[in-house]
Amino acid sequence: MTKKPSEKSSGASKDPTRRRKVASGAGVPSAVAAKARPTTSDMVSVSLVVNNVHHSLALDPRTTLLDLLREHLDLTGTKKGCDQGQCGACTVLVDGRRINSCLTFAAMYDGAQITTIEGLARNGALHPLQQAFIDHDAFQCGYCTPGQICSAVGLLAEGRAKTADEIRELMSGNICRCGAYTNIVAAIQQAMGQS
Amino acid sequence: MAIYLRPASLKAALSTLAQASGKGRSAHPLTVLAGGTDIYPTRAGKQAWLESFPRDFLDITQIPQLRGIRRDGRAILIGAATTWTDIVAARLPPAFDALKQAALQIGGLQIQNRGTLGGNIVNASPAADGVPPLLALDAEVDIASVRGERSVPLASFIRGNRQTGLARDELVVAIRLPGHRASSRSLFLKLGARSHLVISIVSVAMLLDQGADGTIADIRITVGAASAVPTRLAALEAELRGERLDASLIERVTPGLFSVLTPLDDVRASSHYRRAAARILVRRALANFMEPQVEEVAA
Repeated sequence: MTKKPSEKSSGASKDPTRRRKVASGAGVPSAVAAKARPTTSDMVSVSLVVNNVHHSLALDPRTTLLDLLREHLDLTGTKKGCDQGQCGACTVLVDGRRINSCLTFAAMYDGAQITTIEGLARNGALHPLQQAFIDHDAFQCGYCTPGQICSAVGLLAEGRAKTADEIRELMSGNICRCGAYTNIVAAIQQAMGQS
Repeated sequence: MAIYLRPASLKAALSTLAQASGKGRSAHPLTVLAGGTDIYPTRAGKQAWLESFPRDFLDITQIPQLRGIRRDGRAILIGAATTWTDIVAARLPPAFDALKQAALQIGGLQIQNRGTLGGNIVNASPAADGVPPLLALDAEVDIASVRGERSVPLASFIRGNRQTGLARDELVVAIRLPGHRASSRSLFLKLGARSHLVISIVSVAMLLDQGADGTIADIRITVGAASAVPTRLAALEAELRGERLDASLIERVTPGLFSVLTPLDDVRASSHYRRAAARILVRRALANFMEPQVEEVAA
């Protein structure tokens, strides 16, 4: 599959994963269509910063933030699990807050700062939570792990969780089907002690 | 092709809605988008079964006046695009505790950071956790269109399962909570298959105002997910109003007072179970407002 290099800003038009239709504009009120800021008749332009790298893209407006990351920017660390906001595998940080990237249009984040699992390490050193997940063996298959770690980064920033029970409650948006919860909580507690 | 609009002002949003919902050639249905946390699962489900789904969206998240909580005289106004996280973080009187407790049990944190109060109402799910606390607060819905503004009680705004009284050119601007006594307390209890990230089997919101003499001056009890629309238990409220708040009241919460509920049989629970669970949650909520030593009667 051909993927578009992230530094280009040519948009999604060549992406074979995107369904294309001929954009005739039929049935669309012209004044409404004009406000959509299309770059071609069906695209919207989006500028955002992902892991400190600026991207300007032309996207089908229905592209989810998750698909933007995975299909357009080749950042496949963020996982697609349920694709309906129930599993948390797609968790990323938008302006420091954790959200499900599967439940939003990328176009809603024009101007936003996005952090994914690929953006957590600094100068080759793992983020304390990444290291803690390794130290505590806080995963089995690893599929939910990027979402778990991004969610935990959000949790630490929120500062509401103090006890193990509070960590469990506030991590309830992330499901681990292998059942590594005990070690996930231990890893977060370790990172919490360092922050 | 798909349309995505993100107006920066309410005026622009309303004129766009008016144009899109007009008659004739310019008509083109637009789905109003805020948090997206209900729109996306719906879309994914329809897509999987090759059904049509909305593709043209009006994103209202860039309109500053739609987000945030402010006072309007004695009333408190919560902007339609205010998130659950915003509500949890806000300083609000104890009468709003039920709403905050509901906010903390909607999805996980990722959902709470995006989902909005206005969306919860307009989506009009029978299991919407935001609705029972708002009904207990006598919430009204502020609605705007190019034709003007209007305000309707939430109880009549939601007309059925996924049905509201919102016209196609109208936008919910805010949820208006009329003034409440500082002494009013409130509580939200939710029963799900587990404690978090589940759709409610039954939920109960209770608002209680106790007089200086210990009697119940005012009580509102709302049950969610047990009818097409979350429902106030007026007969039970009347039964309890004026009574002393003590353990004997628990026995007054009898099954007959729940006959107004019309719970469904579905994958989450049977109708019979929902009706029984509603009664238990109401008893627990009452016990919660009593002195600690009587809490065990609610078990």
